[in-house]
Amino acid sequence: MVVTDESLELVAKSFTNLQVLVLFSCEGFSTDGLAAIAASCKNLRELDLRDSEVDDLSGHWLNHFPDTYTSLVSLNISCLGSDDVSFSALERLVGRCPNLRRLLLNREVPLDKIANLLSRAPQLIEFGTGTYAAELRSDVYSNLAEAFCNCKELKSLSGFWDAVPAYLPVIYSVCSRLTSLNLSYAPIQNPDLTKLVSQCPSLQRMLVLDYIEDSGLEVLASSCKDLQELRVFPSDPFGEEPNVSLTEKGLVAVSSGCPKLQSVLYFCRQMSNAALVTIAQNCPNFTRFRLCLLDPKIADYRTLQPLDVGFGAIVEHCKDLRRLSLSGLLTDCVFEYIGMHAKKLEMLSVAFAGESDLALHHVLSGCESLRKLEIMNCPFGDKALLANAAKLETMRSLWMSSCSVSLGACKMLGQKMPRLNIEVMDEKGPPDSRAESDPVDKLYIYRSVAGPRFDMPPFVWTMDEDFASELS
Amino acid sequence: MRRAISYCSSSIGSSNHFDSSSTATAASSSSQRDHNTDLSLGLSISTSPLYARKQRSPIKPLLRLELAEQDECNSATFYVKVYMEGIPIGRKVDLLDRRSYCDLIKTLEHMFNTNLIWAEAEVNGDHFEEYHVLTYEDKEGDWMMVGDVPWHTPQLKLFYLCMYCRMFLSVVRRLKISRSSAEL
Repeated sequence: MVVTDESLELVAKSFTNLQVLVLFSCEGFSTDGLAAIAASCKNLRELDLRDSEVDDLSGHWLNHFPDTYTSLVSLNISCLGSDDVSFSALERLVGRCPNLRRLLLNREVPLDKIANLLSRAPQLIEFGTGTYAAELRSDVYSNLAEAFCNCKELKSLSGFWDAVPAYLPVIYSVCSRLTSLNLSYAPIQNPDLTKLVSQCPSLQRMLVLDYIEDSGLEVLASSCKDLQELRVFPSDPFGEEPNVSLTEKGLVAVSSGCPKLQSVLYFCRQMSNAALVTIAQNCPNFTRFRLCLLDPKIADYRTLQPLDVGFGAIVEHCKDLRRLSLSGLLTDCVFEYIGMHAKKLEMLSVAFAGESDLALHHVLSGCESLRKLEIMNCPFGDKALLANAAKLETMRSLWMSSCSVSLGACKMLGQKMPRLNIEVMDEKGPPDSRAESDPVDKLYIYRSVAGPRFDMPPFVWTMDEDFASELS
Repeated sequence: MRRAISYCSSSIGSSNHFDSSSTATAASSSSQRDHNTDLSLGLSISTSPLYARKQRSPIKPLLRLELAEQDECNSATFYVKVYMEGIPIGRKVDLLDRRSYCDLIKTLEHMFNTNLIWAEAEVNGDHFEEYHVLTYEDKEGDWMMVGDVPWHTPQLKLFYLCMYCRMFLSVVRRLKISRSSAEL
């Protein structure tokens, strides 16, 4: 969402008792806007800039929190750039806010500054480091170790940008209490990585790069019996050859060893139907299952069959599944299974899958709880959409890109469904310059009682009744 | 409405004043970087860890989707470092934010105030000295001219990965702009 400094200034002026401000994935504002918030909102408890893009004008916006301001409970500035934070202001702020429980720093905060910060906030529950790399110095090391040791309530750690193994042991004193660990920015490899994991028996949530490999996941499976969520990200998604030994075996091991596992995001290069069936049988409590095979159309590596049966087992066994992402070689069959079994599914992501409109029809007609559907590069569109137009009004949104949805079908939908915004996005030019049968590049459909919007970029067109009649 | 994508040629009158003696420095500093992995289609990438940046284009679908879960991010970027021969300080370009090679070329020509030679460029022979060649380093360490590989595939693959990943995926790659006479 685009938010301007003027908007933030207006918020600051109008809501002086504001307690919580979360700017999730926003852009268009600068540290000036943040300064206005800091200066006016005396009761602010939570400021979360999660993944926003902030224009850095001055690191001194933190100074705008008055000296009398002590209410801060949660601060997430992990997305800020290099000039955005004055470190001394941050230290003073942290020092005078005794209720601060969550502090996520940005990458630019160097490792040798963390000890000071932590010593001012030993009550922290959740902490995100900045860059976790520096030359090994015994004074820095021991200060850090002591600071972490004094944080008796610390349960969640993240950050660890560019982490080097040398400084990992400073967190060992905290490990036994950790319930959440996000190492997805840390290029740490085995054995350091596995050693760290083996010391965290209370982990419920683990985010890590595929450097953990199958062997590390086996250790995770045997050490972390409370694990509920696992995300494994690719360290080298575009390499032609695998750079790590991470396969379906790691996920099978975790599914077998962690009975509370509910949520999975797993990037890997090979999968088999047999593995997916085993995983499904091991974890009938899955609520979220997202598998991303780096080669999107890859078959079962053992049988060379599509992965229909494997994903079918997931939806059949996991009756509470709310979110699913498919990948690999998939035919219309998997969609039939999904339509048949995935009755609680709310969000589905599909790419490079299916063969015909039947696939989309199965999903739209079968998935009763479906809210959001995103599809890219699949060979279907018109027939299924038009046959299930009413379903689209029960959903939050539908996104389709590079599929076979024709301009004509979009126009028809626009005419037929006045409470839907049918937005067509096309780089090549306005829709009126193209044939009705031409496929649209991107399609976004969402319900709205407010009618079409008017603040779109020039390559977005709304197919509404007016549009359709204008052209005929 | 939007202007049509025009064939990439820009006419910049003034010549470029770049010090050719810095070439060696730029080249050697780039070779020290770790870039032994690469896109399936040839753009070289470094194995630096993933870090967060946010995309700008509002049309990316991931932006539109509601973010109900903690730490789930919608955007993706695909930043590339671009260095011009003779200038040690580089710039960054988000490939996912560009729609085509033409778009990328125009962006870079504007950023670096030069004319660029790439696979589909039309070069004005009389003003050859005003051009720079746009190259990238592939996994074999060869410097290749930009533009032979279909644009869509790297972008598409990244888009696919990000669709599933819901994370800021920022992979730094490397392009180099070098003097035309040195390369051709």
